[in-house]
Amino acid sequence: MKETFSIMIPILIPILTGLFLLANPAVKKRSVLLGIVSAGLIVTAMSVFAVILGDGDSFTLFYLTKTLPVYFKIDGIGRLFVTVVTVVWLAAGFFSFVYMKHEENEKRYFGFYLITYGVLIALDFSGNIITFYMFYELMTLLSMPLVLHTRSREAVMAGLKYLFYSFCGAYMVLFGIYFLNRFANTLSFTAGGVLNQELIGGREPFLLFVVFLMILGFGVKAGMFPLHGWLPTAHPVAPAPASAALSGIIVKGGVLGIIRTVFYLFGADFIRDTWVQTLWLSLTLFTVFMGSMLAFREKVLKKRLAYSTVSQVSYILFGLAVLNPAAMEGALLHVIAHAFVKCTLFLCAGAIIFQTGKTRVDELRGVGKQMPILLWCYTIVSLALIGIPPTGGFLSKWYLAAGALDSGIPFFGWFGPVVLLVSALLTAGYLLPITVNGFLPGSDFDYEHLEKREPSMCMILPVLILTVLAVAVGTFPAPVLSFLTDVIGKLV
Amino acid sequence: MDMKPVMMSIVVLIPFLTGILIPLLPFKKRGQMMVFLETMMVINSLLVFAILTNPPAEQFALVRFTGDLTLSFKIDGMSKVFGGLVAALWPFATLYSFEYMKHEEREKTFFLFYTVTYGVTLGIAFAEDMVTMYFFYELLTLVTVPLVMHTMTREAVLASRKYLYYSLGGAAFGFIGMVFIIVYGVSPDFVPGGSLDPALIGDRINVLLLVYVLAFFGFGVKAAVCPFNSWLPDAGVAPTPVTALLHAVAVVKAGAFAIIRLTYYCFGIDFLRGTWAQYVVMTAVIFTIVYGCSRAVKETHIKRRLAFSTISNLSYILFGVTIMTPLGLVGALCHLVFHAVMKICSFFCAGAVMYKTGRSYVHQLDGFGRRMPWVFGIFTVSSLGLMGVPGLAGFISKWNLAQAAVASDNPLAFAGVGALLISALLTAIYMLTIVIRAFFPAKDFDYDSIKDVEDPNWYMLLPLCVFAVFIVIFGLCSTPLVDFFRTIAKEMGSL
Amino acid sequence: MDMIRSFPGMSIMLCLFAGIISSGMKRKAACYLNSALILAVTAMNAAVLYYTVVTKEAFVFVMGKFPAPWGNELRAGMLEAAVAVLFCVIMLLSVWGGRKKLDEEVETGKHNLYYVLLNLLLSSLLALVYTNDLFTAYVFVEINTISACGLIMIRQIGRTLEAAVRYMIMSLLGSGMLLLGICMLYDLTGHLLMSDIHEGVLRAAAVPEYRIPLVVSIALMVIGLSVKSALFPFHAWLPDAYGYSTVSSAAILSSLVSKGYIFLLIKIIYRVIGFEFFCNTHIINVLFIFGIAGIIFGSLSAIKENDIRRMIAFSSVAQIGYIYMGIGLGSELGMAASVFHIFAHALGKALLFISAIGLTDVSGCSRKFIEITGSGYRNKVAGLGFTVGSLSMVGIPIFAGFVSKLMFARAAVGGREKMLATLIALAISTILNSIYFMKTVIRIYTPNPDTPYGSVTIGREKQYAFAIVLFMVLNIFFGMMSQPIVDLIHAGIAVLG
Repeated sequence: MKETFSIMIPILIPILTGLFLLANPAVKKRSVLLGIVSAGLIVTAMSVFAVILGDGDSFTLFYLTKTLPVYFKIDGIGRLFVTVVTVVWLAAGFFSFVYMKHEENEKRYFGFYLITYGVLIALDFSGNIITFYMFYELMTLLSMPLVLHTRSREAVMAGLKYLFYSFCGAYMVLFGIYFLNRFANTLSFTAGGVLNQELIGGREPFLLFVVFLMILGFGVKAGMFPLHGWLPTAHPVAPAPASAALSGIIVKGGVLGIIRTVFYLFGADFIRDTWVQTLWLSLTLFTVFMGSMLAFREKVLKKRLAYSTVSQVSYILFGLAVLNPAAMEGALLHVIAHAFVKCTLFLCAGAIIFQTGKTRVDELRGVGKQMPILLWCYTIVSLALIGIPPTGGFLSKWYLAAGALDSGIPFFGWFGPVVLLVSALLTAGYLLPITVNGFLPGSDFDYEHLEKREPSMCMILPVLILTVLAVAVGTFPAPVLSFLTDVIGKLV
Repeated sequence: MDMKPVMMSIVVLIPFLTGILIPLLPFKKRGQMMVFLETMMVINSLLVFAILTNPPAEQFALVRFTGDLTLSFKIDGMSKVFGGLVAALWPFATLYSFEYMKHEEREKTFFLFYTVTYGVTLGIAFAEDMVTMYFFYELLTLVTVPLVMHTMTREAVLASRKYLYYSLGGAAFGFIGMVFIIVYGVSPDFVPGGSLDPALIGDRINVLLLVYVLAFFGFGVKAAVCPFNSWLPDAGVAPTPVTALLHAVAVVKAGAFAIIRLTYYCFGIDFLRGTWAQYVVMTAVIFTIVYGCSRAVKETHIKRRLAFSTISNLSYILFGVTIMTPLGLVGALCHLVFHAVMKICSFFCAGAVMYKTGRSYVHQLDGFGRRMPWVFGIFTVSSLGLMGVPGLAGFISKWNLAQAAVASDNPLAFAGVGALLISALLTAIYMLTIVIRAFFPAKDFDYDSIKDVEDPNWYMLLPLCVFAVFIVIFGLCSTPLVDFFRTIAKEMGSL
Repeated sequence: MDMIRSFPGMSIMLCLFAGIISSGMKRKAACYLNSALILAVTAMNAAVLYYTVVTKEAFVFVMGKFPAPWGNELRAGMLEAAVAVLFCVIMLLSVWGGRKKLDEEVETGKHNLYYVLLNLLLSSLLALVYTNDLFTAYVFVEINTISACGLIMIRQIGRTLEAAVRYMIMSLLGSGMLLLGICMLYDLTGHLLMSDIHEGVLRAAAVPEYRIPLVVSIALMVIGLSVKSALFPFHAWLPDAYGYSTVSSAAILSSLVSKGYIFLLIKIIYRVIGFEFFCNTHIINVLFIFGIAGIIFGSLSAIKENDIRRMIAFSSVAQIGYIYMGIGLGSELGMAASVFHIFAHALGKALLFISAIGLTDVSGCSRKFIEITGSGYRNKVAGLGFTVGSLSMVGIPIFAGFVSKLMFARAAVGGREKMLATLIALAISTILNSIYFMKTVIRIYTPNPDTPYGSVTIGREKQYAFAIVLFMVLNIFFGMMSQPIVDLIHAGIAVLG
């Protein structure tokens, strides 16, 4: 491992490009703008891959205080997340080239879009909790303009709600960090934890409270009950590609935070078989069920998808909370699968809105006749989310259930998989009716005025690619699985 | 080369003389007065820094009150912190107020007292003993009353009355503490780690603790500890340079400074730590932290909102103080300095808005971000700083405060850490709602309705930019400054 | 130097004769005579002060040819001399400061009567300060009362007459009790000369059955003098008497007359009863409690007041409370603080009365707060004087009031059970003081653009301005250079006992 500046390149490029866009009034023509954005996205993506294919560099940028370096390091989890981020970000980015045509103030949108990208990369590369926290807060702040982009009253209120929920969570985390710093050898992420038993000296109960607070805090971003309230409000009001990015990626910031906290700072053994694990498991299961139920009842498509996110991310958290390798493998797989799937779903919803202006589920009858490719993609990723083989969703849920059954945790060991199964049924219940109504609008449907409204290539292509990826994760899992096993081996 | 001790009194007296000269000298134009005043301020600040970097070894006695009670100056670490802070901010604030006061009446009277306050504040910073500090502390109240009263509206008069009653009343209780220190101390001078004479205390520990609590709340009036804080938002009727510099920095920090002196240099942390007195004052402080923020969220007048924010932030400092460990002092000093820069910055932004547009309520600020990009950009920086976003100054001070609290193993201090974070959340709410309003007005917002709104000229912007830059610099490389605070705190005991 | 020893007696006599002569003189001449007399007496007493400070001891001067038991003795130590000098100075400045007002308020024909009364008052004050004989003290107490009544009544409006009658009744009640006390002591000890009584008291105190009559007689004297010096709750006569009499009278009454009685009380405590014995009775606790009550209630009444003169008058009640509280502390330090406060308050209160009159004069002679708004700009010297006086009363450093507050607090910290009560009382009183004084200061400096009243310049009222400036200088001198004065007081008290 060597100290090299190259790790900063993928972080700085999008941030600087974004700042340039925001600050430069000269960029007026749409083509110039899109050229810069696409160049920024592609160059960043390339540099990201260049960096993560290297041998895990680290870099200390500067010291906040003597003992608090802003420190970047590339490790397995970071590689996984940054890859997912990059794929989704590119896909949603290119999608928005067309989509944003009908929104105002594109430049601001793309500016913040790029900056957020850089911040997310930095988040994934963070080598210690302080750096992580710093970019976590920045992520909240900088993604907020994406949420309230339309500036309708609803959007602004949603943006504020998003902001304050997120800060609430962030400060719970900070509370934990304050105490962690006292009882830990270092704040750098180390597989297996950094707690110093001598320093703790009998204060375990308090530290358990601290770790629970941190889980809860990061859980805000991950939409975990009880602080999930912002998510169904904030995601739908954003422009569709932004919702896709938010739902697919930003929520994963919370997941990453929890992984870092539990496995890299406190260590899985510290919370195994404690009240924290029990409570955490029950919260996640409750969220899984509640999210699905709410999604089932929701009539507005994007809101339904947002509730679905609430539910699905808690699958991941459940897998983490089980604290054994199989479940964790399932969780990480679900990170990938859900990111691709949810991004696709939102992009589909966006394309529908863009083409037809329809937002409610019951308005979508016959939409499959209008845009068959889009709805096929929608259907396939829905199946993936429900967990039908051979998609990514099946594999991840398989591992989740297997891990839970295998864990030997009383009650939750069998209850968890049951809930997941029920929720999968509900998922089918809230996603598939759109397919059914879309393709089979019924005999009274007005075929006369039907016209093909398939969106342009620029919109379809990202959707297609993501769909393929979502399936491919399940169909050809070998490289991913071996990579994950390698990562998890050190942790649990 | 060390400075002559007499220099300490000279820098205190120069502002006095300058202030008195302002109404006396026959300035032909406003510009001449500005140049004169600004030059004197800069010279004085440079002198202050010269003294602070080469502090004279001996003390300097100005006046002898009675026997052992003298008005005397001496520079130690704390003086450097507070004196340096004041000296750094004053010239900028003066520059800002030239522009701001253009439309106000009785400018000369204003600048007279404004300038004299500089000297008085330095007097507090350089005070060698409790009596000197008390003297300048009282004087500070008196010279700032005309500033609060400046607009002479009924509101201003009532506010200044309230300010006066609160401050003098508080000082009366501070006075009790002072007398005890004189009687029970080994010397009336400030001694790092406390000057109480154990031989004299005997069985009167509880009496002394009671006196400490009384004196804490007495000096706490200026530092706006709940329940003695209602003067501060009311005093916001003063012109903005006053609210910014005095009610965010000089006056209120003088209160915090006095409490630091009282706690760390008079009663001594070893004497106080773990006693009921500590719990009493810490509870009050923690309550104030949350209370100030909650009130700020409710306020819709910008300056009053910021004033409540000040109340809460001052209690951050006091929270550091009441941890009563050397580390706590480090945290307190950090926030003393950083909050000064952040709050003066946000106040000046608010002042710029009021000055340029006459609008002073939060809901009138829709869309200002586009018209006043500099002002609101800087306001955003200071907001984020106050919230404690990493990379800005506020994070460092909160980090230090929290570390001190965590290291103290005091359960109440743990609760205090929680309060800090609740307060940070509330800070986010009351600051960012302004920012979001300014930058993201409602969809159908008509920018033509605020056509007259624009950024102020460089007199106002320069101080703003400098402060904003400092917020970032302090956030990114605070180490030298924090190390300096640590050397001060080391005198109290090991860190 | 021996001549100096006769100065105390001589100054008392001079004052008496000057009073008699003035009655037959013209207005102007009486006025000049009065000023010259006070200046001369000041000089003489200053010489006495210098003499005692140099010799570091007190001396006794026998009036006439008769020795002790029958004749009359004066005794002068540093403290007595210092008090005498201060009384003279304050009286002079008060008369100067109030001269213009006197011309307006008092009939021209009564002016020389006023100076007669002033001269008599001064002689009686000096006698109270110097006398070494209880009966002489009583006689001059009565002279003092009568001349003070005259000073109140000389401005003949209804309220002063009423006030004078009230004052007379209360005062006579006080003197009656004093006389009773003196009689009982005479009965017990058979002496009237202070030093002789003291020995008698010491002997009587040793005998258990004499103890109760002794305490009763002491109590009578103490109560008598505190009634006369307006200790709460015997202050009902005070606001009207100080509030409506002509301003010099008010200044002199509040600064000097009540202080004369208090000083006499201190002398009795040290010279007659003995400090030790006095501290062992419960009387000091009573004084302490009523002192504190006076501080609080005086200030509260002052806050409620809507008339600047009456407000200052009520403030006197509070300040006298301070002095009794100091005596009530029962320690050397407390006593020193009280004596210093006699000085500080005398300086501050006279200044306040004199400058208040300047403020009301430029406000159409109305004393209501609403009218004096902005008067600090119309009469700058008076405004400044009032501010200084107020700050001194509140106890801001560099003014005399701060030093006395500090001394009270230090004295209190030395004690035990009375410590917290004293300190809290001081703090609360500071708050209350700042409420009513600072409210007034802010009011006089709040501009009132549509005021119908014109302003005055210093040039037109030189004597007035001079008096005020001198008062301010003295106040600040006492505040800044208090050490020699404090030393003097301690030495003086040591010599007294």
